[in-house]
Amino acid sequence: MNCRECTEHLYEFLDREVTPELERDIRQHLAECPPCGEHFDFERLFLDFLRARCRAQGAPPELKRRILRDLFGE
Amino acid sequence: MAPAPTPTPTPAADADKRASFEREALVHLDSLYRVALRLTGNPADADDLVQETILKAYRAWHQFEQGTNAKGWLLTILRHAFINEYRRRTRHPETVDLDAIEPYSVFEDLQEEDPQGAFFDRIVDDEVLRAIDELPEQFRETVVLSDVEGLSYEEIARVLDVPVGTVKSRLFRGRRMLQGKLYDYAVGMGYIKGNPA
Repeated sequence: MNCRECTEHLYEFLDREVTPELERDIRQHLAECPPCGEHFDFERLFLDFLRARCRAQGAPPELKRRILRDLFGE
Repeated sequence: MAPAPTPTPTPAADADKRASFEREALVHLDSLYRVALRLTGNPADADDLVQETILKAYRAWHQFEQGTNAKGWLLTILRHAFINEYRRRTRHPETVDLDAIEPYSVFEDLQEEDPQGAFFDRIVDDEVLRAIDELPEQFRETVVLSDVEGLSYEEIARVLDVPVGTVKSRLFRGRRMLQGKLYDYAVGMGYIKGNPA
């Protein structure tokens, strides 16, 4: 596997959407290629950051009450 | 498959329906709200969209296949409601020339200055959400379903009714666009020097 092929599967790999064979090939390439390894680490950090920043918000309590009232007359 | 007949309502059946709906559907209210907010772009429309989605889902609850993914089912209903009733008046659907978007990684600019992405820590939640809201709709909804709601490629493909390959390419481009926006913001705020080129 070369750097271009490895980078093509960057997000599929980080999202755990690759086959076990492909995952093995990518891990092997990353172990042997520090620049790709750093790039993948950076992208993983970016995805973790996105998740952490966007999940805090939930439905407002007033909306929850409104929905329960509409559904069950409460 | 023919839709299951609507069960005759009896007090016991109503109680069962309510219990299963609360257990399997209402637990996803926060997810529905987050997606609605990113699709509509404002809290009032997000409220209405979620409420409508829940009422539609409750009426159609007998058609939901128990044991399958209720979150995906609900998000599909939400998205259809959004397309049919909100998109026209909230935002104009953009046409995006996919080939015009260069999937460029900011890592190339940062590998000298901040290869660990430390500048991410200085970017606040609101700024990230604003950057997501600026993405063209097809990228925004894909990124939200994946990175905010944690759906698999297959689940996203079902909700958006597109092939898995399309999900992959939209995620790739959407995330890169988002990175670019956050990078520009961080440079603008002086968190990083950036690439003067």
